[in-house]
Amino acid sequence: MVNASGIDLSVKIGKLELPYPTFMGSGCYGSGEEFAPFIDLAQIGAVVLKSVTPSPRLGNPTPRLVHTPAGMLNAIGLQNPGIEWYLEHEVSKYASRPCAIVGSVAGFSVDDYAYVSERLAARDEIHALEVNISCPNVASEGETFACDPNLTAKVVRAVRATTDKTLIVKLSPNVTDIASIAREAEGAGADALAVINTVRGMSIDVERWSPRLGNVTGGLSGAAIRPIAVLAVYEVSRAVKIPIVGQGGIETTSDALEFFLAGASAISIGTANFTDPQIPVRIAQELMLYLRERNLRSLAQIVGKANVGFSNPYQYEGDEG
Amino acid sequence: MATVATSAALHHALVLDRQELAQGVVLLGFDAPELVRVTRPGQFIMAIPPSGERAATALGIYEAGGNRASVMFFVVGKRTAELASLGVGDRIALFGPLGNGFTIDRSRNTAIVAGGVGIASVLLPAQALLRAGARVRLYYGARTAGLLVDRERFAREGCEVLVSTDDASMGHAGYVSDLLAQTDDPPDLILACGPTPMLRAVARVAQEMNVPAQLSLEETFGCGVGGCWGCVVPLVRTSEQSPSFPPAERDGSDVVYARVCREGPVFWAHELRW
Repeated sequence: MVNASGIDLSVKIGKLELPYPTFMGSGCYGSGEEFAPFIDLAQIGAVVLKSVTPSPRLGNPTPRLVHTPAGMLNAIGLQNPGIEWYLEHEVSKYASRPCAIVGSVAGFSVDDYAYVSERLAARDEIHALEVNISCPNVASEGETFACDPNLTAKVVRAVRATTDKTLIVKLSPNVTDIASIAREAEGAGADALAVINTVRGMSIDVERWSPRLGNVTGGLSGAAIRPIAVLAVYEVSRAVKIPIVGQGGIETTSDALEFFLAGASAISIGTANFTDPQIPVRIAQELMLYLRERNLRSLAQIVGKANVGFSNPYQYEGDEG
Repeated sequence: MATVATSAALHHALVLDRQELAQGVVLLGFDAPELVRVTRPGQFIMAIPPSGERAATALGIYEAGGNRASVMFFVVGKRTAELASLGVGDRIALFGPLGNGFTIDRSRNTAIVAGGVGIASVLLPAQALLRAGARVRLYYGARTAGLLVDRERFAREGCEVLVSTDDASMGHAGYVSDLLAQTDDPPDLILACGPTPMLRAVARVAQEMNVPAQLSLEETFGCGVGGCWGCVVPLVRTSEQSPSFPPAERDGSDVVYARVCREGPVFWAHELRW
């Protein structure tokens, strides 16, 4: 779809066709309703909902958030009402959203993932699924799936068998070789990959001699993790053919461009929404300007163009090294 | 507190006035008639630091009248330092009003307890109570007399003002909760805003006095609008909370986590599971 500016920002992620390449990160954006007074949701691509598990989860003890230099640590712990309550009380509200709605599936076993995805994907209000195999904030199993190529493949195969809707698998940066995990997910039937989830971290109160988070450890987001995320997108993009939704500390258009150039077809914005709810719209508008200034017609023309050896015709003096 | 439909919006408000009420305590007034129109006592805004590099910060709405609203805050870190650098004629980007405020409709004799910059969230309920004909006594505590900012304002509005200081520089020497406990005029409702230890103490005093208390809590916020579940506090699970609260875990937990930014920031003291 080409918008009024004549610049094409649309993306196709699996079967999901979006007018804007912007996802709102899972767990950061509620169901979109919370932010609707402050942003036109018709000007974003999709909201990724908070993860749902088979049973209700109380979530982690407090405090759950700590602001850190250039970022934020969180340990929410997948607080959610469980899939049954969720389907009965929540999902019907999403029908009126003017953007795509991506459900997020979490669990503690392969069967959990299959169970939640089958039930969630059956609902018309849910346009695609993100498979959260990389939550760093739940005891034991949470992140195990994304840290093990075989488990990744098992979960993705099981979820794939439950639905034809677009599957986006969210990968963890807390691994030695993210490219090998990405290949397993692709081989098991993922339509796209979300790269990356938060980076594990910890902060300690030196007056009280105790961790600042109730969960002791948390997931780091925000600008602090951006270079880690850009590298992960770059490595994954060279390992798989399916599209990548790049994420991790995107706050500005320049940040977003790094991800596109590294190989992301779309981006996801999380923590930056806590700074200014208008950021996703501003980034979309400025992406159009960026492309127009370079006589480009579509965002797709720059995806992955930062590969080593590529000679950039638009490089200009004073560009950051 | 009951959830009320939001009339919140994004504002780019012109700063009308700026005062430093004490060392590091800033009062910013800004032009925001739409915000004023929909603000209820006890609500807050999220202010976007001018550089755009740091997360928005939650500030209680101090005054709201005519075209002008104001916020009062301590400069405690980089975000509040950025906001403190705003001057008359600058624009402050903010969104709100947010959260559920105080429920004050039936009180005839109210005790308002404020600790430090907690004073910033209790002027509007004081005004509303006085307008409704209630008697309002303000118990106002701070570390030192110089930090008992704007106390004359509350007296002018019609509150009886009792103060306490940690360093005995003015009023009762010690905690404001002790001042409340020693009262000769038992209220029918207590409203409180201040540091968490003070709120806990007020909750204990309220329980001993058998007086209902509403506490305006402060937590580290993520989004401020209910989207991230980062600012939660544990509440005692009651049947009244369903269906707006999720069901219990299978372990039969009697606690439910509520968002300070959305279900709060004001909670009944007896609901809190501290």
